[in-house]
This record gives sequence, C-alpha cells and structure tokens, in this order.
Amino acid sequence: MESLVTANVRQRPVRALVSAAGVALGVCLVMLFTGLARGLSNDLERRSQNLKAEIVFTRDAGSTQLMSNAANLSVKYAEELLKVDGVAMAVPDIRYVSQGGKGFGFEQVEGVDWNQFAAMNGMSLVAGRGPQGLDEVVIDEAKSRNNNLSVGSELKLFGNQTYKVVGIYTPEAGPRVKMSLAAMQDALQAPNKCTWVYVKLRDPARAVEVARRIDEALPGNKIQLTRDIITNIEKSIPYLGVFLRTLVGLSALVSGLVVMLAMYTTITERTREIGILKALGASRGFIVGEIVKEAVFISVIGVVAGFAVSFLAGYLIQHAYALPFEYSWLWGLTAALIGLFGGALGALYPAVRAANLDAVSALAYE
Amino acid sequence: MRTILQAENLTKVYRVGSVDVPALRGVSLDVEEGEYLAIMGPSGCGKSTMLHLLGGLLTPTTGRILIDGEDLTAATDAKRTDIRRRKIGFVFQRFNLFPTLTAEGNLKLAEGIHGGSDGKKGGDPERRREVLRLLQLEDKMHHKPLELSGGEQQRVALARAVVNRPAIILADEPTGNLDTENSAIVLNMFQEMNYRFNQTIIMITHNPEAAAMCRRIIQMRDGQIVAPGPRVQI
Repeated sequence: MESLVTANVRQRPVRALVSAAGVALGVCLVMLFTGLARGLSNDLERRSQNLKAEIVFTRDAGSTQLMSNAANLSVKYAEELLKVDGVAMAVPDIRYVSQGGKGFGFEQVEGVDWNQFAAMNGMSLVAGRGPQGLDEVVIDEAKSRNNNLSVGSELKLFGNQTYKVVGIYTPEAGPRVKMSLAAMQDALQAPNKCTWVYVKLRDPARAVEVARRIDEALPGNKIQLTRDIITNIEKSIPYLGVFLRTLVGLSALVSGLVVMLAMYTTITERTREIGILKALGASRGFIVGEIVKEAVFISVIGVVAGFAVSFLAGYLIQHAYALPFEYSWLWGLTAALIGLFGGALGALYPAVRAANLDAVSALAYE
Repeated sequence: MRTILQAENLTKVYRVGSVDVPALRGVSLDVEEGEYLAIMGPSGCGKSTMLHLLGGLLTPTTGRILIDGEDLTAATDAKRTDIRRRKIGFVFQRFNLFPTLTAEGNLKLAEGIHGGSDGKKGGDPERRREVLRLLQLEDKMHHKPLELSGGEQQRVALARAVVNRPAIILADEPTGNLDTENSAIVLNMFQEMNYRFNQTIIMITHNPEAAAMCRRIIQMRDGQIVAPGPRVQI
C-alpha cells in the first residue's frame, strides 16, 4: 500500500523537490568546502613530505610557512651553512605565491637551483631538461596533466610574463612550477636574495643537534625542523576550523528552514486532512510522526541528491581549475546527519502545530 | 438491549468574541446497541454540535457522555482520542477521504490508526473483504477518490468507518452531497450495516426519506430535543 507519506510527496512533487533541493544545498556546502579544504591540505602535505631537507633556515622575521613572498635572505648564508658540521647540502630557495590562474585559489612558483634541488630530494625529469634560461620553468606531472601542459608549452607567471615549459619532473614536491633561482631573482628584482635555505644533513637523526649548532654559528635567524613545519592547512589557517564549523551550522539552518517552510505550507494546505486524521482517532504522536516521516523522506532525497551534486561539482571543478577535492567519511556522515536532523527538526514545529489543531475547525477548513 | 451511548444534560456554549452563544441547552439521549437513529432539525439547531460532542471532537460545557461504559467527558484529550479511535466511526457529508490515497489506502490508513496501540497495523483482511463485498467496492479499491463518483466515495467513507468495527457510527448528513440514486444506494448500505453487523448508527439528516429508514427519529430545535421519537422494533 502506498503510505500517506509517499502519497503526499507524489501529490506535490515540485514542493517536495524544492524542499529536497534546500537540504541538498546544505549537504553540498558542507561536502564541497570540507572536501576542498581537505584536498588542499592533503595536497600541500604530500608535496611537503617529498621535501627531504631536515632544516629550513630563514630570517627571524621571515616565514617558514608554505606561503611567502619575502626574498630578504642573502644567498651567502648557504655558503656559511655548509661550513657547519653535519650539513651536507644547503640550497637557497625563493617561493612566490600569487592568485590562481583562473581566479580560484593560489599558485606557487619556486626559484631554486634545479640540479641541487633535484639531488637533495631525489627528483628526476620524466621529460625535457632542467630550467636554465630566465624564461624557462619545469613543472610536475600533476600540473602537466591538470593544465594540459607539455614540454614546449607556454604559461603566464607574475601577471603577464611568458615562460616556457622545458621539463616535467617527478615526484611532486613543493610548488608545482619551478624556475632557476636566477630567473626568480630577476623576476622579483631581488639579486642575491632568497626566501630561505633548505638544509640537508649528513645524518637526519641528528637534526636537533645540528640545528643548535647552526643557531650558535649564525645567531639571530630562524631555524626550523621541516617535520615541525605546519603542513596541515587547517592548523596553518587558525580560523579555518571555525569557518568550517560555522558553515556546518549554517547548512543545518538552511536545511531546517527550507523543510520547515515547506512543511508549514503543507500543514496549511492539508488542514482538513489533519481534521480527518483526528476524527479517525489519530493521536498527536501519530500526526507528528507522519509529518516528520514525510520531512525525513524528503531529507533523504535531498541528502542523496546533495552527495551526487557535490561529487559531480567537485569532479568538474577539479578538472576545470585543478583544485583538489578529497572527501572524508566523517564529513560525509556529518553532512548526512545535518540534512536528516535539520529536516526533521524543521518539520517538528509545523508537526506539533498540526497535532494541536482543533479537529472541528480543521474539518470545516476550506 | 444494552445502552451503548448515554448523554446526560449536555450543554455547549461557544464564545464568539465577548458573546456567549449557546448551541446545546441540556440534551439527554440514550442509544441502544444496534440502534439506527436519525437526528433531524433545522440548520443551526445544534445537530452537528451534538454529533461532535458524541464523537469526542468537542467537549461539552456541562453534562456527561458515556460511550460503551467509558466516560468521554471526564477523559483527557489523549484518552478521548483513544476512545474515538476504538469506539467511533465518522461519516461526513463531504466524504473527507484522503485524496492522495486510493480507496484501499484510505481503509488501510484507518486500520493503521486503529491498530496503533494494539499492534495490529495490518488490520483484519477478512473483515476488510467482507465490508468491501457488502459495499460493492471490490473493483474500486485501487481508484483514488477523484476517480470515483460521489456515491462511490461515500461508500468508501462508510467502509472506512466500519472497517474497524466501531461501537457507533456517527454520520453527518451522509447523503447531503449525493443525488437521489446515490443517496438511496448509500442509505441502503447503512441499513445493511445495521442489519448485518448490528451496527449502531446515529445519523444527522435533513432528508425525511433517509430518516424514514431509521428505527428512531429525534427532532431538535434551538439546542434541545423537542421530539424524542419512539423506537421501532424491526
């Protein structure tokens, strides 16, 4: 037998779909934002983990976060660092962060001596050669794939400057686009400067001891172990967690309000039917239950649609803008619960109102 | 014969703004099990108010109603709903079927509500079949109300009212929206229910022919019973 719930939903398909769309919107907001935050965080973490230097040396005021535009450290520090006992390699690096090519997110470019950097991190070229000229860059395989770039392709950096892709490297480590240190210094008009120096040790297990020695030899600078560098975007942006939680709350509110509005309208439309239920002897609990069941049924449709739209939108955005999306079961469960509980709670007030209607007035309702 | 319904000195006063409007002015009524009773009277005489009081949809201002031994007036709202669920079946002038459900769906909904606390959600299929056969609705069960004629809709409403074997059926002008032919069919069905199942029926009607089929007719005027007719033994 068709239940009252499904019969009512079928009777007003547009209203049901609009309500479900409201729930789906909440689910989409949670899934897309958390998926993007997680994707970016994990992407950065993966790329950071491929950097094999144990220590990052920079100016005290400089940043060892993953995003920095400062190039205020003299490259001569690299030579000084090599004199410290235990240091195997010291590679100066400039990192430049700009807005993403298609207006979304951000893009990082790194200026580094390719041969030294590749040797330090165990990287190799899968196509082409390392950057030499001032207008040459190498890119990683993901960048090549996502942006459909190959050796010989051109890309715009620093606004309007054209650079030629001369090589494709693997594995991904740090920024996806790398040029020579000289090219970056030239572009930023910062001769003989760098953002920091990557320090590779002879014995990685003695990182703390060597760091202390560097601090003694070159005091007044910032020495940080790469393992301590915050690579988790949620932690490196302190209010991201608050933002995500606020977003989740707003999503629940949106779902709840849309369902409440829809169910409130439904109750008004079906006043007489509620009167009939009362005449048949339906208890308040039965009436509340039927309305909440209908809201939950609509919410389930909304949650399923929300997941489908989220995955589709994530896939399309990832392909169009190369923004990584990574969904987690926990956030998926949160989104589903928000959709279901938001819908059920939203229906509660109209349901209780319906259960309290006067039966005779309801039966006389036109 | 056992008294199945007892109403003692019922009054009902509606408050309209700051004015008290008396609808019932001391009505007493005894109805025996298996009785088929018609209540007649001009519009506004308090017939519907009385029916709603007897069905527990309204509470009297004063007086007492006993249904099958249970005091409706002393009961809480939840208890009154429970008594209504177990003891009363309603048939309305406007049929009041659920338009989104089929005829069968309407019956099953009533069974579901009735079985709510008894754990008999599926209802009694045997009883349902018997009622459907009697009301000649077997081939209409998968139709929605809008696909049925007025007479058929009222037969479904009657089937819904009797399917749970209520102690009393309260019918509020059940032929008021029907043409002569369908009125006759529905009234015959009421009579059949009364004969076959010894079903107690209290029916409000303006139609003298409908009233003539009942075993007793009472006349109301100005919130009072003015002519408590004699019972006819059949």
